[in-house]
Amino acid sequence: MQLRDFFSVDAIDLDLNTETKDETLKILVGLFHLDEKSESILFKMLKRRENLGSTGIGRGIAIPHCRSLVVNRLRVAFGRHGAGLDFKAIDEKPVHYVFLIVAPPLEVSNQYLPVLGKIAQFSKEADVPERLAAVESAEGFLQLLEEKGV
Amino acid sequence: MHEQLETLLEMQDLHMQRRALEEGGVRELETGLFEMSAEEAIDALDAKISELELRLGKSIQERFRSLIGTRQRAVVPVLAGVCYGCFVAVPTSWAAEADPNEKLNVCQSCGHFQYYPT
Repeated sequence: MQLRDFFSVDAIDLDLNTETKDETLKILVGLFHLDEKSESILFKMLKRRENLGSTGIGRGIAIPHCRSLVVNRLRVAFGRHGAGLDFKAIDEKPVHYVFLIVAPPLEVSNQYLPVLGKIAQFSKEADVPERLAAVESAEGFLQLLEEKGV
Repeated sequence: MHEQLETLLEMQDLHMQRRALEEGGVRELETGLFEMSAEEAIDALDAKISELELRLGKSIQERFRSLIGTRQRAVVPVLAGVCYGCFVAVPTSWAAEADPNEKLNVCQSCGHFQYYPT
């Protein structure tokens, strides 16, 4: 299983221009092209998860995640925010890179936890924040995932 | 979407989160990587579930509790015309509606609430 296989070019936004964490989550959920009601439920669930503790893991990276029946397969999205967002991250620093992961309650292949783990593993690599900052296109982002072999 | 179906979906998602926090893999990740306090999170989820429950009619509330308690899921998806609670085909007239989620559908075979994902 390679992380690259779960991302599609249309679910990558390298130019987030949002003001808040909420707005950012909404924009990223929007990349899944669900109906309005499903988007609203998903956003609420992600917010509730954030209220239990921030998913900002430090070094400018956040991994908001949840399970919900409004998606029928595992979906992932990535967003980059140049200026950085207040995500109440563990290290209290602004978040520039947001990996969003959502999955249905039950998956045949049970990929949710492994994908979450792989993104965490990727995020912990020393040069990743710097490399993510330098990525110039969605394809470049996918190449970086491939290169890292996660 | 039917208002009570929306509440049921939210409640089920919260139950899923709660259950996941009691299991090894997710709990380990949430408390390790995200530094979450699992006990505090479970308390917060319980409080929210109780709050949402008040929005449901009594019979719906009872059905939800019974299903979530015995079968772990109260709301199941209908995919390609098949109920994923029992794998029996749903009446074609239900699936053919413009937005089947506007009604609170209960499977005639397994009794689960049904949700039609987009």
